[in-house]
Amino acid sequence: MKDIIELSEKTIILGRNEYLKVKGSVDTNIYFVESGSLRVFVLDDCEEQTIRFGYKENLVVSLDSFLTDKPSDFFIQAIKRTVVKIITKQQLQTFLKTENNITWWTAILENLVLQQLEREVDILTTSPKQRYERILKRSPQLFQEIPLRHIANYLRMSPETLSRLKKS
Amino acid sequence: MQTEKLTQSLIESERQIINKSGNLKTIHLKFLSCRQSAESWNILECLEHLNLYGDFYLPEIEAAIKNSGTKGEAEFKSGFLGNYFAKSMLPKDKLNKMKTFKNKNPLNKPLDKTVIDKFTDQQLKLIELLNQSKNVSLNKTKVKTSISSLIKLKLGDTFQFFINHINRHLKQIEKIENEIKTSSISQ
Repeated sequence: MKDIIELSEKTIILGRNEYLKVKGSVDTNIYFVESGSLRVFVLDDCEEQTIRFGYKENLVVSLDSFLTDKPSDFFIQAIKRTVVKIITKQQLQTFLKTENNITWWTAILENLVLQQLEREVDILTTSPKQRYERILKRSPQLFQEIPLRHIANYLRMSPETLSRLKKS
Repeated sequence: MQTEKLTQSLIESERQIINKSGNLKTIHLKFLSCRQSAESWNILECLEHLNLYGDFYLPEIEAAIKNSGTKGEAEFKSGFLGNYFAKSMLPKDKLNKMKTFKNKNPLNKPLDKTVIDKFTDQQLKLIELLNQSKNVSLNKTKVKTSISSLIKLKLGDTFQFFINHINRHLKQIEKIENEIKTSSISQ
């Protein structure tokens, strides 16, 4: 991970609630979160639906734009003051000309596929309690980094339900 | 001009606008309502002025897209009048004064921080409309102006005019912020 972060030539600071990306933009950058936290969401008929979070030492990317060079529907917003390092698609492509680096990148993408599969099962799980328990087991750190109301949205339940499940 | 380039640059402008408006929420109400002279607007009034325009243009743009019946086009060419209106909104180095229509003048209207929330909601709406506009012609789709329903502009020009107008007043807000800072330091 260290190698790829060293590629970055630009750091940006986002204030609380500032947008890194809005719906419809083409954004092929990879963002490394130095500090703070971000959420990726879509607006579904005026209602926000959080899809992913990124916090300290995570990579955040609009993967659809990154892969296709086309506009993406995702919003990326800072939950609190956040510092991100930008790695451009071009910088990454140059980096991936080395065999070893390709192996590293493939591992990252494979891991992402596995995470997405887990997330798919999350969303299809009917019981709110089980949805909560799956995430708690998988990423306990999430509950340290992200405010409850955003996690509740991510889990597709009301903040009240989540807080009740946390107590029980 | 390539339509895709125009839309991308307008979406990026909107991202910056929405971030700026969010930051205004952290400023104390006292400063947001502070005016430099009896005739000049405070920060909330600048935003309310923009909201009044939004109240008119956002539904007009939405209806124009919905009833357009055209397809997206690769190229956009500014109309004569649209180009003139959009350019006239660009702030000069020294912010030039412009006349305000009476029904868009919020001077001395009682306002609070909900004005900022409304402004932010309008920007999210505008981002949505910019996205929807990708499916229609920015040339052939026409939008009524607030001056007269007889004067219509191309959708692409309306977007540029509308966003330039917002940027113009955000620049005015920046100027007010600086004036407040300087006057509170010198006191």
